[in-house]
Amino acid sequence: MPAFDVANKIRDALEDLKAADLDDPRLMEVLSLAENLVDTMKMFFGAMDHSVLDEFKHIGSYIHRTREEIAALRPNDIHGSRIPTAGAELEAVVGDTERATESIMTLAEDIMSLEATDLETYKTQVDTAMMQMIEACSFQDITGQRVSKVVATLTHIEERVSRFSEVMGVMDADTPMTDKEKWQAENLLNGPQIDGPATGQDAIDALFDGETTEEALGQDDIDSMFD
Amino acid sequence: MAVDTNMPVLVVDDYKTMCRIMRNLLKQLGFNNVEDAADGAEALEKMQSGKNFGLVISDWNMEPMTGFELLKQVRADEKLKGTPFIMITAESKTENVIAAKRAGVNNYIVKPFNATTLKAKMASVLGDF
Repeated sequence: MPAFDVANKIRDALEDLKAADLDDPRLMEVLSLAENLVDTMKMFFGAMDHSVLDEFKHIGSYIHRTREEIAALRPNDIHGSRIPTAGAELEAVVGDTERATESIMTLAEDIMSLEATDLETYKTQVDTAMMQMIEACSFQDITGQRVSKVVATLTHIEERVSRFSEVMGVMDADTPMTDKEKWQAENLLNGPQIDGPATGQDAIDALFDGETTEEALGQDDIDSMFD
Repeated sequence: MAVDTNMPVLVVDDYKTMCRIMRNLLKQLGFNNVEDAADGAEALEKMQSGKNFGLVISDWNMEPMTGFELLKQVRADEKLKGTPFIMITAESKTENVIAAKRAGVNNYIVKPFNATTLKAKMASVLGDF
């Protein structure tokens, strides 16, 4: 029962006692005092009830909104369908490029090992191998389409996660690296850069040929970041 | 002194296709005695087994032992420390190039590269061939 109702009940009980027309005036004074106390309590608990109720209403609405936002993320769709499909597409890209490279390289090796004794036969063999190489290059069309699908999936996830993070006011938490991640961070390079090598072959050659110093190479690198 | 193109060359790369490309490029340059290893540990084992490799061409990014760690181990090994060593990587941050040079790498090639670049770097390390 809310505190406000309890206070009302006590007040009613006090009114009944007063109406009983008791003889002892001190008892009447005590009852009046108790009545004042109950009124004060009623006001206090009444205000407190509203504030707690408002707080719970706010929490309830926040939980409801969070549930709606999580539903909008479509986590089951991402986990059950989009990510596995994207992974399968990337695996297929690796497989396609590997097979194409294998075919092209084998054909090139075959051409290099041909005996050019009979020119007519040699030309036919080279032409045939070249046509097969051209055919093998068609992998690019397929892999291009596969990569586009993966990019679309990443964009889909990125948009939803960003929106969720924005609506919920989420801050990035610090997550400790695993031992493997630490080893990789300390020992492996990041792989090819998007805009070509950070330090060009010419600059590296100049360093190894003694035409520039480590300091100068470093400075050029820093300068290029500001140019 | 002329370069002995029959000398064993060790190509270290965890990507089999890259090993095959290197094998073909080296063959084009006249080097037919080529062996490969999938990471630094396998390469080091091959080098320590007694075969006298005249050149090591290694990728950097490999697990469990990187090309950089292989370079340091080779330079720390009394018997192997004089082996010419070329690093080939897709990344060329200045600090990595400098770290490799300080660790004793003889040359550094940035991927992608062609036969002309490979020949030039090999010639700078081994002499003209």
